[in-house]
Amino acid sequence: MTAALLTLADARLPAGGHTHSGGVEQAIAAGLVRDPSSLAAFLLRRLRTSGAVAAGLAAATTLSSSGRHRGQVPSPVPLSPTSPSSEEPPAPSSSELVAALLRLDDEADARTPSPALRAASRQQGRGLVRVGRRAWPSTAWDALPSAPHHPVALGVAAAAGGLAPRDAAAAAAYLSISGPATAAQRLLAMDPITVAAVTARLSPEVDAVAEESLSRATGSPADLPADTDPLLDLLAEVHAARADRFFAS
Amino acid sequence: MITRVEVVARRGPGGRTVLPVVRASGQLAVRRTGPTTIHLVATAFGPLGGDDAEVSLVVEEGASLTVHTVAAAVALPAREGDRPSVQRVRAAVAGALVLAPEPTVVTARAHHRAELTAELAEGATLAATEHVLLGRAGEEPGRWTGTTRVERAGRPLLHTTVALGPGAPGWLPPVAPRAYAATVSVGARLPVATGQDAVRLPLDDGWTATAWGTELHTVVRALAALEGVGEEVA
Repeated sequence: MTAALLTLADARLPAGGHTHSGGVEQAIAAGLVRDPSSLAAFLLRRLRTSGAVAAGLAAATTLSSSGRHRGQVPSPVPLSPTSPSSEEPPAPSSSELVAALLRLDDEADARTPSPALRAASRQQGRGLVRVGRRAWPSTAWDALPSAPHHPVALGVAAAAGGLAPRDAAAAAAYLSISGPATAAQRLLAMDPITVAAVTARLSPEVDAVAEESLSRATGSPADLPADTDPLLDLLAEVHAARADRFFAS
Repeated sequence: MITRVEVVARRGPGGRTVLPVVRASGQLAVRRTGPTTIHLVATAFGPLGGDDAEVSLVVEEGASLTVHTVAAAVALPAREGDRPSVQRVRAAVAGALVLAPEPTVVTARAHHRAELTAELAEGATLAATEHVLLGRAGEEPGRWTGTTRVERAGRPLLHTTVALGPGAPGWLPPVAPRAYAATVSVGARLPVATGQDAVRLPLDDGWTATAWGTELHTVVRALAALEGVGEEVA
């Protein structure tokens, strides 16, 4: 693990994640989230479904972007004397990478049939590309489709930052609950210490999801986790139709 | 027990569908019940945990096939251990395929895995419905994991895994339904529609609808309502 991972998972990274509640705003409106224990249950189901999908896609993207699946190691644009040295083989050719990232973006689409969730994911992906390009310059950014799904952008960011697929999976899993937890805190005016404790207590679950998703990221993209919670789809679509919402999703 | 079913539907003389290949071994038999319809008939109790069934369907261009089952499948736990029963449906479709089986009932302590993998050619149509009930009357819910992957012209259109029942990742109170129904349809696009514990989502040239709740008959009704709502193309 490196400081790049901490930066990637930091809520202060201005990638636009703070405008999304991950379904929490609608879950509160539906009476499903109202206190710390119901918040913990909601975060857990989100983590184990969309969190697992995001972690798998992010890990697979990092793997593709860094060429590890061909026995290579990542070669991001050197940023500092500690960056990988020039004796490493090159990253996959740009057309190969474009095709691989497009394939992963297609797999993300197939796992995100809800138009509202697709829009939220692509919006956050675009936001991450904007900041990631500046933070971790790499040619891999140019291989992304415009407005990629967030986990795909996250995987490229991890590769560009010299991180491993495992780090990308961990960041994706953690981000699947950290933003929604903060949203709940704001909407319900919950005690920040309580919400921090709820999130921290899910750490073993976050690690387990990241590990399991990582283990499925090395094969065909078709084998990536596809865990779905129809409840989250419904909440997202009802939320998107509301005029009085506070969060974008 | 190992069950294998293989059916090929082909456009025959005069445009009617013929079935040049019909093979079945294990717990399912195939009966042709109409010009484009077959019924899968369970020839044994179950499935039991550990049973492995694979249904391979090929619907060639210009052919149509509708697959029914004659009765609900009642998934029972393994006699020993906790192995799931597995049913894989693999479909290669260039014509029109309808999958409309009777419900799957998953009894207490049983775990049933259902997989549908459909590879569609450009212009192919698909309608696949699934009805699931966890536990018989007065019984604890069993566990069901359903994976649906639909590809069209080599691109993934839909890929979801829904897991229900005790121990399933996202099956947590207060939303832990015993009854679940879902349809995926490719051929005509429908826009988003929402209901009480039911949602319909558009796909590129299709849609998928899901409903869940306590009773299967109300869930099936909620699904049917979505299938008829907002028929205009988005």
